[in-house]
Amino acid sequence: MENLGYLFAVYSIIWVFFFSYLFYLYRKQQRLQREIDALKKDIITGKSG
Amino acid sequence: MKGMWFKVFTIFWKDTVAELRTKEIITSVLVFAVLVLVIFSFAFDPEAGTMGLVGPGVLWVSFTFAGVLGLNRIFGVEMENSCLEGLKLCPVERNIIFWGKMASSFTFMLAVEIIITPIFLVLFNLPFFMPRLLLIVMLATAGFASVGTLFSALSMNTKARDILLPILFLPIVVPVIIAGVEATALALEGKSWGDMSVWLQIIVASDIIYFVVATLVFDFVIEE
Amino acid sequence: MNRKVVLRNNILLGLSLALMVAALYMVFIYVPTEKNMGVVQRIFYFHVPIAWVAFLAFFIVFVSSIMYLWKRDMKWDRYAHASAEVGIIFTTLVLITGSIWAKPVWGIWWTWDARLTASLVLWLIYVAYLLLRNYASEQAQGARIAAVLGIIGFIDVPIVALAINIWRTQHPPALIFEGGLGMPGLFTLLVSIAAFTLLFVVLVSYGIILKNQQEEISHLKDVHSEEGG
Repeated sequence: MENLGYLFAVYSIIWVFFFSYLFYLYRKQQRLQREIDALKKDIITGKSG
Repeated sequence: MKGMWFKVFTIFWKDTVAELRTKEIITSVLVFAVLVLVIFSFAFDPEAGTMGLVGPGVLWVSFTFAGVLGLNRIFGVEMENSCLEGLKLCPVERNIIFWGKMASSFTFMLAVEIIITPIFLVLFNLPFFMPRLLLIVMLATAGFASVGTLFSALSMNTKARDILLPILFLPIVVPVIIAGVEATALALEGKSWGDMSVWLQIIVASDIIYFVVATLVFDFVIEE
Repeated sequence: MNRKVVLRNNILLGLSLALMVAALYMVFIYVPTEKNMGVVQRIFYFHVPIAWVAFLAFFIVFVSSIMYLWKRDMKWDRYAHASAEVGIIFTTLVLITGSIWAKPVWGIWWTWDARLTASLVLWLIYVAYLLLRNYASEQAQGARIAAVLGIIGFIDVPIVALAINIWRTQHPPALIFEGGLGMPGLFTLLVSIAAFTLLFVVLVSYGIILKNQQEEISHLKDVHSEEGG
């Protein structure tokens, strides 16, 4: 069972990449949503104000 | 039909006359190409007989990078003084503009390459009289000219126009570069046309595909 | 945000996860060890599907680019952009996994063999595409010229692959990869391909959601500044 280290390396790199990307997507989506909500609020208060 | 050729020629001639006045593109590109050759001679020991091996590659690196420099100017000159808008106002189809510009690119690059090649052969002690190289160079330059002109127009409107052109251009023309180097190596060894045929076919096939696709999409590149 | 879209994406993500677990079982437990390369050969079941998806992503960029230039609907531009972003991740992984695979099998981290070199060029074209989008002066024009590159790039890939292939057979590397997959191997490969393809779909969907959000933000900003004055 030599070279198991390489198999492990490949596998973990794949997971690191995808997990990081999913995390990045999630964070960005939260940030954008916050911005949307803030803008919507501004528009509503702007209208009445 | 005759009118179309005339219009293409007019655009080409405009570029040529402008260039003959200033000689701005040709001189700078020529100097750069020679410099590339010289720098490479420092990278490899010129006496060790390696020149036969690396020579073709060096030559094509020189052509490619010098070509990029020239291509930058092809549409670069149109951006000054809003010449591009002027061109677009002319009652010609966009294809004509593309073909005219492509003819200019091709001619300028070929002129530089024709001057550089003998210099290269001399500097690296390779057989001097090599007319077959001319065909290889012409075919490959046609490929460079079509895609290069398209990307020149494409990158002109972006923020990082000078650096973007090589980034776009070089990966796309990899087949032409590979085939050019291989064919040149075979030519320098004195091999027959038959040996080179596969590479020439690749260059010709690339040329045709690049030309057709570039012509079809050029419209989209310079529309408003 | 659209409830239906969120639900659909969550289902897809769950499915993808399930498929991925199934694939993992098959790769690590079900498939027998290959005699020549040993355990390391199992990397093949990751490397090949990832390569397939990288190519699929580029194909989608190609199709979306054509659709955008034809229909001028921004949604096609979003598909192309999202697909390219995920595509470059997959292509990067192809290069990395290929390299790690090469080390124990051939003893070197990199070799200019046909497949790796062609993947490298594909990677460079992706980079060029994404850089181009970044450097465009304004949105609609950026979409347009990116679409042009998407079309040319994709058409060029077969030519690049062919040229590189012939180039490498002229100068054969000292190392040859032997094929030969049995039925269990084939089955495992297919499951793995399905798993990664589904993952690709999920990632692109999320990417599109993000772009829709950005679109909404710039729209809201326009409305806001109109009223604010």
